[in-house]
Amino acid sequence: MKRLRDDPHLRPLFVLAACAVGLALVDARDFLTVATAASSLETFATIGLVALGLGLTMMIREFDLSVVGMYSMAGCIAVVMGGTYAWLGLACALAAGLAAGLAQGWLIVRLRLGSVGVTLGGLLVFAGIAYVVTENRALPYENMEVALGLSAPVGGIFSVRSIVAIAIFAAAALVIGLTRYGRDIIAIGSDRRAAMTAGVNVDALVIGIFGFSGFCAALSGALLSYSLASASPAGLSDVIVPAAAAAILGGVSLAGGTGRPLGIAMGVLSLAVLRAGFNAVGAPPYVNEVAMGTILLLVAVLDSTYLARRLQGLVRRVH
Amino acid sequence: MSQSAEPPLTDRTLAAPAQGQMAARAGEPRNYVGIVRVAVLVILAAVALTTPGFLSQPSILSLLTTVSFIGCVAVGMTLITISGNIMSFALGALVGATAMVFVLAANWGGFAFGLVAGLAFAAVTNALQGFLIGWLRANPIIVSIAALALIYGVAEAFAAHGTIYAATGTSYAGFKGKVAGIPVEFVVFLCVAAVAQFLLSLTTFGRNLFLVGSSFRAAEAIGVHTWRAVTGAYLWAGLFTAPAGIMLAIRYDAASMNYGLGYEYDAIAAVLVGGTVIKGGEGSVLRTLAGAIVIGVIQVVLVLQGLRTEWQYLIAGLIVLGVIALQTPGTRD
Repeated sequence: MKRLRDDPHLRPLFVLAACAVGLALVDARDFLTVATAASSLETFATIGLVALGLGLTMMIREFDLSVVGMYSMAGCIAVVMGGTYAWLGLACALAAGLAAGLAQGWLIVRLRLGSVGVTLGGLLVFAGIAYVVTENRALPYENMEVALGLSAPVGGIFSVRSIVAIAIFAAAALVIGLTRYGRDIIAIGSDRRAAMTAGVNVDALVIGIFGFSGFCAALSGALLSYSLASASPAGLSDVIVPAAAAAILGGVSLAGGTGRPLGIAMGVLSLAVLRAGFNAVGAPPYVNEVAMGTILLLVAVLDSTYLARRLQGLVRRVH
Repeated sequence: MSQSAEPPLTDRTLAAPAQGQMAARAGEPRNYVGIVRVAVLVILAAVALTTPGFLSQPSILSLLTTVSFIGCVAVGMTLITISGNIMSFALGALVGATAMVFVLAANWGGFAFGLVAGLAFAAVTNALQGFLIGWLRANPIIVSIAALALIYGVAEAFAAHGTIYAATGTSYAGFKGKVAGIPVEFVVFLCVAAVAQFLLSLTTFGRNLFLVGSSFRAAEAIGVHTWRAVTGAYLWAGLFTAPAGIMLAIRYDAASMNYGLGYEYDAIAAVLVGGTVIKGGEGSVLRTLAGAIVIGVIQVVLVLQGLRTEWQYLIAGLIVLGVIALQTPGTRD
């Protein structure tokens, strides 16, 4: 029982249950509906893949700030290039995301730079491109068939977008759970020098993970723009706040070396249920923003390096 | 502009251990970076001077006010960067929120009350973040992003319509003028910079800040109250950022969260261009002053060349990437 309680990967399950029960207590009739489940999964599709990419970079003790910029830029690329053929726009957006992610990883590894600095530059460059392309307005996407097709319900509560997100989560969970990449990632996050000594190809894996993070952000950005039938530059807090909160809720630590894709998925799902629940019970939009900010602040405190030491100090002072 | 290439003697002596080591290890790249820096400044100066209208009086005045707003935020950011916490994403939001608090408080209790309320709000909001970062060692990037979301969310709850206007009859005309031909904003900015440089160069707090930034463990080992230094850095950063919000509110007789959009990025770009090192423990306000002038010149030139403001993010990003790639190669920790 103690082992169960201390397992960080179970944390998101408790949070998810608490969110669901809490919202059901507030307004069961509006919350416990198929519509809420479907809207949760749509939010899952919107922030899930970003959280997965960001979470993986956190697992190797880096941080990919550029995901928000990539998210906006990929949406613009997809809408601009995909006017006639939606797949062409998607392919261009994904290629840009992968290439930009790999380039950032290469800079970090080759020039031995901090990932926050490099991805801060990446964030501004990508967001800047999105602003320049869209002229800070919403760019319309004329291909309504694609837009409707992506959002159309599949099997009651799913949509193409959420199925894509779930499939990528499943693939990531399989690769990390069953191949040596999973152990290598944990090893890099725990002690990079030891991992290198043990024969892990650290540089290649770091570059690869940044590439994957760029790819994930581009995929969800492009699909979101298609389904909304427009592209517009996203604010920083819209995506990265829930994504970072979901990753940490899901058992990833900023200190690196812990976490797994299923945990991140549960973290995303709890925040998605929370957001859908706020909508269902008719809360004003700022409630969601305040809640996400508060949750991120709380998990940052729970994840902080000196929390245990400070609490012990306080307890000692009381006695 | 020479400040950026040659840091003043005071902070070199104060941060002597870190800088001596760095110079010995990376003497060669430093010279190379210096050449790039001079080349970029020459090109920028050439572009600025050949831009029609750059030397006209309205353009110079607009340059001075642009530099003042960016500069106040950048001076605050400098303290955070030196303390080893990279940057705060919440300073732009803080500018907008301070402007709102100032207008609300000034409408209710007069100009002086608004001033005090605005400064106190900014100091407390930032100090709380600094306390979490310094005392609990929570991740500074995550804390500032969370604060960003919270500030925007709470502001939206309070001001549903987005903009708060100064009460009719209250005119801040006296604060919109010029002192000896120089905009009031620039005078305020110079005062802010002077106070910050004094704090960094001549006080125990400043010395501790450089120590904490260059090596947290070493600072802790020799008995520095690290959390006080970090909390102090954020508190002062709030106090230095607040004037930007208050001056924007005075300028427009109104306040909105949009006023602060993007300031955190211009500020970090100014800090990095000035030569303050992103990993902390090294830097000065004078360098940031030079950096703010560079960013201000770029923005004024962009506007004069007819490029829209949307280009500012892209330019800031390219600058940040370029500076970081050149900065202290191979000294990642």
